[in-house]
Amino acid sequence: MKDFKVLNTRAPRIDGPAKAVGKAKYADDLTMPGALYAAILQSPLAHAKILNIDTSKARKLPGVKAVVTSKEAGLVRYGVSPARYDETLFAHEKVRYVGDEIAAVAAVDLATAQEAVELIKVDYEELPAVFDMFEAMKEGAPQIHDEFPGNMNAEVHQEFGDTDAALAQCDLVVDHTFLNKRQDAAFIEPHSCLAVFDLDGRLTLHTSTQVPHYVMRTVAMVLGIPVGNVRVVKPYVGGGFGPKCEATPLEMSAALLARTTGKPVKMNYTREQVFLHSRARHQFYAEMSLGVMKDGTMVALRNKAVLDGGAYTSFGIATVYYSGSLLGGPYKLKAMKYDGYRVYTNKPTCGAQRGHGGVAHRAAFEQLLDMTAEKLGIDPVEMRLKNIMATGDVTINELDMSSLGMKECVEAVRDGSDWKNKKGKLPKGKGIGMACGFFVSGAGYPIYRSDTYHSTVVIKVSEDGGVATVLTGSAEIGQGSDTTMAMIAAETLGIPLSHVRVVSGDTDLSVDLGAYSSRQTLMTGHATKEAAEQIRNAIASYLAEEMDCSPESISFSDGIVKFDGQPGNFQHIRVQYIKEHRGWTDPPSGEYLTFREAARLAYLKGGTLVGTGKYKPPRLGGSYKGAAVGTSPAYGCSAQVVEVSVDMETGEITVDNMTDAHDCGLAINRTLVEGQMQGSLSMGLGECLFEEVKFDSRGRVLNPSLGEYRIPTALDMPNVKSIIVESSEPHGPYGAKEVGEGAIMPTIPAILNAISDATGIRINELPVTSERLFMALKNKENA
Amino acid sequence: MLLPKFEYHEPSTLQDALNLLSELGGNAKVLAGGTDLLVRMKQKIDRPSHVISIARVPGLDAIIPRNGHGVTIGGAVSAGAISRHELLNDRFLPLALAAGRLGAPMIRNRATIGGNLVNARPAADLPPPCMVLNAEFKLKSASGEREVAAVEFFRGPGEADIEPNELLVSINVETPMPWTGGSYIKLGARKTLEISMVNVAALITLQSPDGVITDARIALGAVAPTPVRAYAAEELLIGEKPTDELFERAGMTGVGLCSPITDHRGTMEYRCMMIEVLVKRSLKQAVERAKSWKP
Ligand SMILES: Cc1cc2nc3c(=O)[nH]c(=O)nc-3n(C[C@H](O)[C@H](O)[C@H](O)COP(=O)(O)OP(=O)(O)OC[C@H]3O[C@@H](n4cnc5c(N)ncnc54)[C@H](O)[C@@H]3O)c2cc1C
Repeated sequence: MKDFKVLNTRAPRIDGPAKAVGKAKYADDLTMPGALYAAILQSPLAHAKILNIDTSKARKLPGVKAVVTSKEAGLVRYGVSPARYDETLFAHEKVRYVGDEIAAVAAVDLATAQEAVELIKVDYEELPAVFDMFEAMKEGAPQIHDEFPGNMNAEVHQEFGDTDAALAQCDLVVDHTFLNKRQDAAFIEPHSCLAVFDLDGRLTLHTSTQVPHYVMRTVAMVLGIPVGNVRVVKPYVGGGFGPKCEATPLEMSAALLARTTGKPVKMNYTREQVFLHSRARHQFYAEMSLGVMKDGTMVALRNKAVLDGGAYTSFGIATVYYSGSLLGGPYKLKAMKYDGYRVYTNKPTCGAQRGHGGVAHRAAFEQLLDMTAEKLGIDPVEMRLKNIMATGDVTINELDMSSLGMKECVEAVRDGSDWKNKKGKLPKGKGIGMACGFFVSGAGYPIYRSDTYHSTVVIKVSEDGGVATVLTGSAEIGQGSDTTMAMIAAETLGIPLSHVRVVSGDTDLSVDLGAYSSRQTLMTGHATKEAAEQIRNAIASYLAEEMDCSPESISFSDGIVKFDGQPGNFQHIRVQYIKEHRGWTDPPSGEYLTFREAARLAYLKGGTLVGTGKYKPPRLGGSYKGAAVGTSPAYGCSAQVVEVSVDMETGEITVDNMTDAHDCGLAINRTLVEGQMQGSLSMGLGECLFEEVKFDSRGRVLNPSLGEYRIPTALDMPNVKSIIVESSEPHGPYGAKEVGEGAIMPTIPAILNAISDATGIRINELPVTSERLFMALKNKENA
Repeated sequence: MLLPKFEYHEPSTLQDALNLLSELGGNAKVLAGGTDLLVRMKQKIDRPSHVISIARVPGLDAIIPRNGHGVTIGGAVSAGAISRHELLNDRFLPLALAAGRLGAPMIRNRATIGGNLVNARPAADLPPPCMVLNAEFKLKSASGEREVAAVEFFRGPGEADIEPNELLVSINVETPMPWTGGSYIKLGARKTLEISMVNVAALITLQSPDGVITDARIALGAVAPTPVRAYAAEELLIGEKPTDELFERAGMTGVGLCSPITDHRGTMEYRCMMIEVLVKRSLKQAVERAKSWKP
């Protein structure tokens, strides 16, 4: 492996100090003189016609500055995929879930805004509602959108090879069904924003988002502002995990109210509103059949999905494609058939969440694999090793595994967990299980059809040559992307990390599609690297001219410049630098020319030193319908082994150990990679054991708080043995690819397989609460 | 979420606090740690026009041993302080254990025993240990004071035997007999930060390390509208030698005394079966500890 100075280390994150001392600014920390506070009126009913909205009392309340409804906002339709723009900022005619937005108020303070919201009188005619996805598909079910009869939001049918024929020839076909529950992403920071217009009609929207670029486009479209007049700025963000991947009614209301009043408008969601806005993991129902030969060779997979989408589409079309396409690997198959259905119900809208569309079906599939191995009498690790893909393989649905350390991951967790001495040898009540998975390193295509670059980056060197500033629209949301870009820039320029600054999350700085589909390390990373190379090359050519040598003989590393590996005769450059900076405290010194002096020289010769980089993936994927979903320039993969103890008298589950191996290509920052691995495991553990958004019979969320919606606590998480596997990805910057989402793929099935090993029971519905497991144990006893 | 408007009082003597309470009575709420009250006010369930903080009333946050025969715990002592207190861990273990399972560290630093008892939630952690320890609650008002036994205090979900003008000033507990051991078990979905699906406190006194059971007390939470003592199960134990089989029978009897509900945390059916298991386990633990009692 190449000898890196900055990359592949455990450099502390560059935003660490600001966050540790509480100086980092999040959206709700922002204030502006004269700012108004706004609140939203949301529907208390799950399905109803709006007969009349009377805002007169609210408008008369002292302190109220504006009240807006669909009348003021207009009826521009928006959404995530242009193919399904099914939302308007405010409901007109009807509301489709408890929480559907009806109006917004701006007032001098929050208490007044909230009081005014309560004074808006809406007359409804309640309609029958449907909350269950299977009920919604039935004939005669209440219809939620006129344009989508049968509540069918999206359907996918794909087949690769002849699945029925392949299954018929198998020695064994095993069937399985699986049901997860609607999740909430439970990020710590609820959505928050501050919108302000300047006197020229330009909007600046400060908002807690993962995708400034998409928010900019949607807000411009919905409010009818030229897109060039919208600037979206993302302050530090307290987590997103997917639901902050689209423009929200919060952002659009704030912008509309700011335009209406001419004042800055500040607005937050409460935790309950976060649950109502949702856009988190769908509920999935999976039905699968896997056909194999006696020796364990996998042949064919039949996969059906039903997704409970809630009231609108959000990311749903991509989601329902992903549930099929992400089973194409990491095992070799001869045939695969997929039928997916996303259904509207009168509940908050589901969207993308970590492991988008893949997690539930991966859980089902990896369980099915274990069930099959058991029937064949083959060790689950061996069964996987027998079928896995390797670097260079292409999946049956034409996804190109340009690097794939799958085998290395499986072997690493097998050995790291002492699998061979545990599997089949643990006492009753203790179990061990494993699973694998893979995920994209950035979607191959933007959400809207376009030839846009997915990322551009500008790097600018300071006048004195001492600091390189990376300017990027990419979104640091806690995952560490600013640190990653700083490290790539530092390595490429050959300077210490401390000489790089990053300014990010601002649509005025560069184009970047944002933090979703685990894309930034690869895509923004490429653009950062290219921008830095441009600067390095410019400096090298100016230097070559000055020193009368060839640019190729010049190398940059650790902040110093060498000529054919030697100091070279650079004294006149130093003398000039010191003369120019007489009286300053930090004259360059040492045996070698510094980067600072070289960059200053380049500035004197060519003006401010700027490099720009850009990236977009090549055309990827097959030509069948939906082939774009699942494509990526590169795929990360992972394997996990989980050990559990089950209290056979209560059904309580304790996860004792987790061993995780992830192939992220080159680990740009080893600590950040491990952080993503462990965070994924914790999120998967929560979904597996505790999490479920629950509703009452009228569609109201029963547990919209982090007290009653249970995510894992520190005591529920075991220590994790994290093993980084580093294949070299030809399409990644310095060989890097994803870790942020792929790492969650094996967690749920590995836990479920361990529970099965401990108890002999297959649980096919989440979450596996103590009650669910206890009842299953009891039923087995009685059977 | 915003708090509704209210007037705030911060009396610095007990008498001032009691006077305020008798003046404002039904329009006022006592504020201790605020971990229940402020949540309920934000949700607009409670809308007091006056809030009386007891933070500055001296003495309410003290744990005072009464030379050998007991302990007085101030009404505003935090769950955290209880869980860490040496004497309480030594002689009044169910209470110390339960306090250590209440919420999570940040909550335990604020949550008080008085607030937990007066709040009177069926699933609360501190009522069952108070019930097995035969605790007495001292209530004071401007016009007098009275003591109520823990077993009599709880009337229904959110309802306790306390008047709006009364302050719960202390919890008094007698030191259990020699060869007594106690336990507390809480079942929730997560390992911490949980509302109990079922909780059990037990206290067992043996004649001698390998003698018969001379006193047995079991209290259950989250199984009925109020926490309950399982008297019938206790009777079954007294005079008997402790055995697994006996504990199992006590568990079965315990279930018969309960009427748990089905809600989104768990079903009635599961709760009943867990009562059986947890009563058995808590007795077993209590007996183990009774056997290793030290003077
Ligand atoms: C995140 C979270 C987790 C929690 N977990 C648990 C848990 O695991 N187990 C559990 O049992 N509870 C739990 N609770 C509830 C709460 O923390 C406890 O009930 C706590 O003991 C209440 O005490 P407090 O001092 O905060 O009471 P406050 O909120 O100050 O008061 C509660 C009520 O009691 C009254 N009051 C308080 N002190 C007195 C007094 N001395 N005399 C008269 N009236 C008084 C108040 O007027 C109010 O009506 C949790 C709460 C939160 C927010």
